[in-house]
Amino acid sequence: MPDPQQQIQAIQSMLAAGHRSVHLERHSLLMIGGVGGFLGVATEWVITAERFPDMGQRGLALLAWLAVWLGGMALAEHILTRRARARRAETLPFAQAQVTRAWWMLLGVGCLASCAMVFHGGGGMVYALWTVLLGLGIYFYGLFSRPLVEWIGLATILLGIVGLAAGLPYGATRWLNAACFAIGMPLAGWLNLRYGNTEPVRRTLVLAGWLTLVVTPALLLARLPATPAPHALGPGERVLRLEAGARVPLRLDLEGPIVAADPGAGLDLTLARPVEVALRDGRPDGRYRIGDGPWHAIHDGILYLRIDRIEPRLAGDGPEVRAHAHFGGAEFEGDSR
Amino acid sequence: MTGPLPPLDPLLHQPARTQLVAYLSGRGEATFSELKRVLGVTDGNLGAHLGKLVEAGYLATAEAAAGPRAQTAYHLTDSGRAALADYVARLTALVGLSAGDATAPRPVTEPTPEPRS
Repeated sequence: MPDPQQQIQAIQSMLAAGHRSVHLERHSLLMIGGVGGFLGVATEWVITAERFPDMGQRGLALLAWLAVWLGGMALAEHILTRRARARRAETLPFAQAQVTRAWWMLLGVGCLASCAMVFHGGGGMVYALWTVLLGLGIYFYGLFSRPLVEWIGLATILLGIVGLAAGLPYGATRWLNAACFAIGMPLAGWLNLRYGNTEPVRRTLVLAGWLTLVVTPALLLARLPATPAPHALGPGERVLRLEAGARVPLRLDLEGPIVAADPGAGLDLTLARPVEVALRDGRPDGRYRIGDGPWHAIHDGILYLRIDRIEPRLAGDGPEVRAHAHFGGAEFEGDSR
Repeated sequence: MTGPLPPLDPLLHQPARTQLVAYLSGRGEATFSELKRVLGVTDGNLGAHLGKLVEAGYLATAEAAAGPRAQTAYHLTDSGRAALADYVARLTALVGLSAGDATAPRPVTEPTPEPRS
């Protein structure tokens, strides 16, 4: 009669072997490594500002370049893996199929993030990035849990991506991120207990309810003025209005190991729109507004400076460096161009 | 032994069949080829074990795409999962009973008195 303890250990061993049936094939390692290494080296040689001077085209070209290589590699790897399993007369484990989907999702988010960085600086998309990361975590759980969890994960990922693509202001992405965490996660847990395994039509309605309860407060809060307007000016406070056409010199302090700027070097800027600035004791307190728009504070993240390209060149009287930059904010674009 | 031995399922109380059922419990489903490779048994041996488990209703079969031709894949039925869980529980109880016997105090034996001369 087999020893009971040995029988239990044999059962545990075979249980573990069955659970850990996901196998990363050798061809997968070679393909992922080869394509990833190639892209890491070659992308900046192919997608350049000289080849794609227009920033929008450059972003889309980058997305297409990454999508073609990574998507093609993922598809080929998937086909070869199925063939390898077929040669061994094995079925594809459920866990392997789910891990593959998670892997494709990571590659897709990586492609989109790379494209987004052409248009947005890292700081400008930090909240959207965290929303997508939250969605990925929920999605991965959902792959091995109930379908509703998987759908909520996908919806959260899309909220981060669509919010950024739709040009939501920085403050709105912050509120949306907070809502996804603080409202979305507890609500997802509550809904999962009741509707986790429900049929697709009802699951769609539940998801629509989740989206409404998460997105609505975030967008409402984003519409509230973050910066109070200086209505009742206290002692030492006043508002300075600069009309369109006013000259505002930009004094540049540039230092570093390679170059330094002359003291007093700068740019002569001219306002394209009237600007009002709140002063306290004769100094700007950070509050401003463009034209008759809402008041903002400098730290609201509305304004940005984007340097599109820097070109060293030889001009008539010597070398020079020409930089092309854009200074603005999402809510001020449109008729300024 | 101080207590009754829990009866064990004779169908599962065979090492190859126990391992087969345990593997399918974690794996979900597997083909004949995969089971043969994992368990390291011959075709005839595996076929016999699978036949008994299918006949008892512990395993079921389904056609699965696992190569150029569709292959038969085996998976545990609900009664098979319940049988495995029950078997493990009884084995665990058996291990507990055996451990209890080993720690029980032994009866004291008095020394045999020396015969009077």
